[in-house]
Amino acid sequence: MKFMARAVQQALNNILRNKTVNFLCLGIIAFTLLVPGIFNYISFNLDSYISKLSENIEAIFYLREDGNSADIEKMLQRIQGNLLVKEVGFTSKDRAQMKFTQEFPELQYILAEFSDSPFPASINVKFRTDARNVVQIESFIRDIEKNSIIESVQLNLDWARKIAMIKKFASFAGFFLSAILLIVSIFIIFNVVKINIFYRRDEINILRLVGATDWYIKTPFLLEGLILGFLGGLLAGGLLLVTIRVFPVYAKFIFNIVKQLIDFRQLPLRIFWEMVITGSAIGLFSSFISLRRFIKTTPG
Amino acid sequence: MIQFFHVYKQYFRSNEALSDINLSIERGEFIFLTGASGAGKSTLLKLIYKEEEPSKGQILIDSINSTLIPPGKLYKLRRQIGIVFQDFKLMMNRTVHENVAIPLLVRGDKKAAVEKKVNSTLALVGLSHRKRYLTSHISGGEQQRVAIARAVIGNPKILIADEPTGNLDTELSIEIIRILEKINASGITMIIATHDMNLINLFPKRIIKLDKGQLVLDKANEAV
Repeated sequence: MKFMARAVQQALNNILRNKTVNFLCLGIIAFTLLVPGIFNYISFNLDSYISKLSENIEAIFYLREDGNSADIEKMLQRIQGNLLVKEVGFTSKDRAQMKFTQEFPELQYILAEFSDSPFPASINVKFRTDARNVVQIESFIRDIEKNSIIESVQLNLDWARKIAMIKKFASFAGFFLSAILLIVSIFIIFNVVKINIFYRRDEINILRLVGATDWYIKTPFLLEGLILGFLGGLLAGGLLLVTIRVFPVYAKFIFNIVKQLIDFRQLPLRIFWEMVITGSAIGLFSSFISLRRFIKTTPG
Repeated sequence: MIQFFHVYKQYFRSNEALSDINLSIERGEFIFLTGASGAGKSTLLKLIYKEEEPSKGQILIDSINSTLIPPGKLYKLRRQIGIVFQDFKLMMNRTVHENVAIPLLVRGDKKAAVEKKVNSTLALVGLSHRKRYLTSHISGGEQQRVAIARAVIGNPKILIADEPTGNLDTELSIEIIRILEKINASGITMIIATHDMNLINLFPKRIIKLDKGQLVLDKANEAV
C-alpha cells in the first residue's frame, strides 16, 4: 500500500515536472481516442436504428401446391429452432382465402370462379430485433428458400441491407483510423515515458545502486503511462460529449438527415468507459515497452 | 568476506583493465586501494558491487559467487554494500534528508524508523544542521558527507568509497577518513580507493596497489 502510494506520488510528480510534454501528450491521446470514439458512437447509433426498424422484419414463405404436411411440419420445426426467429405461423390455403374474404369482402366474386382456394399456403416468420442479425437473417432466409417445398419468399430487407452497409463502412473506417491513431498514441506515450526515463536516468541509477528492486523503479513509470492514458481517455470522453451536444447546433442543415439515425441526447456510458479503459491500457502498454527497452539498455 | 580468484576484466576492444587479480578481504578490514589513474581501481570496485562483470575468474562475496547472482536478485547484494561515488551521485533537487533516506525507503522501512535512522546517521557525519537543505545548496565537503551517510544508513556489511576525497582539500579529506574510520569501528568492511599517498600515510591501514590492471602490492601500512 505504502509502496503504491509512493509510486503514484512519484508518477504524478513526473507528470507535473514535465508539464508541457505531458499535457501535449495528453491532448494527443485524447484526440487519438476521440476519433475511434466518434466512429464507435456512430456505429452504436446505427445499430440502435437498425434494431428499431428490425422490429418489423417479417418473411413470408409461400409453399408449393405439392408440399405434404409432413414436410411442412418439418420445415416449421426447423424454422422455429433457429435462434434468430421470434415467432412462426402457418397459414393454410383455406385460411388464406378466409383472410382475403375478411379483408376484401367486395372482391369475393373473384373467388367464386375458383373451386379451390387460389392462395398458396404460407409460413410467416418474425425475427428477433437485433441489428447484428440482419446479415444472418438474410442468409437464413436464403437457406430456407432453397427447400423444395418453398415456392417463393416475400420480404423487404433492402433498407436494413443499406444501413448495415453504412454501419459496416463506419466500423471499417473507424477500425482502420483507430488502428493508425492507436499506434500513434502508443508511440507518443512510449516516447514521453522514454524522455522521463532519460530525464531521471541518474536517479534511476542511484536507486539501483542502493538496492532498489526493478519493480520499485519501474512502477512509477508504468503508473505514469497509465495515468496519462486514463486522463486522455477521460478527456476524449468529455470531448465526445461536447461534440455530441454542439454538433446539432452548428450543423442544422444536415442535422435533419442524421437526427433519425443518431441520438444526440446522450453518450452511452459503455462508449465513455471504453475510451477510458482503452486509454489506460494504451498508456500502460506503452510504458511497459519503454521500460523493457530501458531495462535492456541500461547497465547495472 | 570478499575473495577474488584469478579475476580478469577486459573492456570491448581495449587492453585488460584487470589481470589475474587474487585477493582476500576479511570482515571489518579497512583497506586503501591505490594506484595511478587508469590502474583499475574503479573497475575492481565495480566488480564488487556488480556494476561490471569479470571477463574471467570468480568473485565471492560472503561465500556467494557474485557472477551467479541473477539481475532480479542483484538488489540483495547491493543492500549489503554501501557505495560512496567519486562524483557523489546525489539527487541535487532533493534535500539532504531525502538523499540519505533513500536506501531505507527502497526497502520499505517505516517512516518513523527512517526518520530516526536518518537523524542518527546525519549526526554521525556532522550534518544534522543541514537536514532540510537542498543538496545543491551545500558545499562539496558536505555533499561528500551526505554521500557517506547514504552509504552507511542501511547498515551495509561493506562500504566502498571511490576517491571519496578526490575533490576535497587536505583538511576535509582527513575529516572524511576519520568519519570512515569511525564507521569501520562498527564492523563495516571498508574499501577506499584513492591515489592520495599523503592521506594513506596518515592512516595505518592495509594497502592494495594496482598498476596497469595488475595487483603489485598488498601489505599492511606501517607509516603514520
